Amino acid sequence: MSFEEVKKFKIESASLKEVRVFAREVFKKSTIFEKHTDDLVLALAEAAQNIVKHGYNNQPTEDEMKIIIKFDNNVLSMELMDKGKPVVPSNIKPRDLDDIKSGGLGTFFIGQIMDEVVFKTTKINWVNHLILTKAF
Amino acid sequence: MLKNVDFNYNLINIYVMTYKVSEEGNVATVYLNGEIDMDVTEKAKEVIMPLIEAKKEVHLNLKDVEYMDSSGISVLIESHQQATENETKVVLKEISKSVLKVIMMAKLEQILNLD
Repeated sequence: MSFEEVKKFKIESASLKEVRVFAREVFKKSTIFEKHTDDLVLALAEAAQNIVKHGYNNQPTEDEMKIIIKFDNNVLSMELMDKGKPVVPSNIKPRDLDDIKSGGLGTFFIGQIMDEVVFKTTKINWVNHLILTKAF
Repeated sequence: MLKNVDFNYNLINIYVMTYKVSEEGNVATVYLNGEIDMDVTEKAKEVIMPLIEAKKEVHLNLKDVEYMDSSGISVLIESHQQATENETKVVLKEISKSVLKVIMMAKLEQILNLD
């Protein structure tokens, strides 16, 4: 089985619900995702939240983010593209487990759930291109 | 005395979060319902923080919370910290399976008061 689903979303906190609805619909495509749906939806929504919160400082914008969910050769990839503040991957730090703060928790969740988290360096028409992958 | 306050937070016509508060003596129970994400955390804090500042023992009933992300977890952490500063406590009650999973992923089960 392979598929590719693409959707654009407004960059605002209200879109996060729509992102989750979209992801849940996509993951209904196969029972292979059944046990992982909640985690995968969380990882994607956290990445989308980072765009709203950090890429645009939660400020109103006409920009959209593009999300692609692909499954091929038993590998799921979730790609997020935006035109917000350029991400410097080395500046992204997940939460220190001993540090009881909320900052970096979303990034920590993404790392826990996905096998690989990569910012693609070659982008066309986008500023940031994040790819989250997980093998099944 | 039982006091109920209902709040409907509508978003793109999809149900997101509602809450109800009941107070009995010095214990205030906040029943949260729905999905707690970045879009509703300020509202959640507006409900919870004044109760903590009033030095109430706050019980957060999470039975009907279907989804919670890092923003929701941050509300739990901040509530816990604020309660400690105010010499009271926040207790998480009837935690739904999905929320418990996220709390455990954040490795906070030993930090927050889980009942």
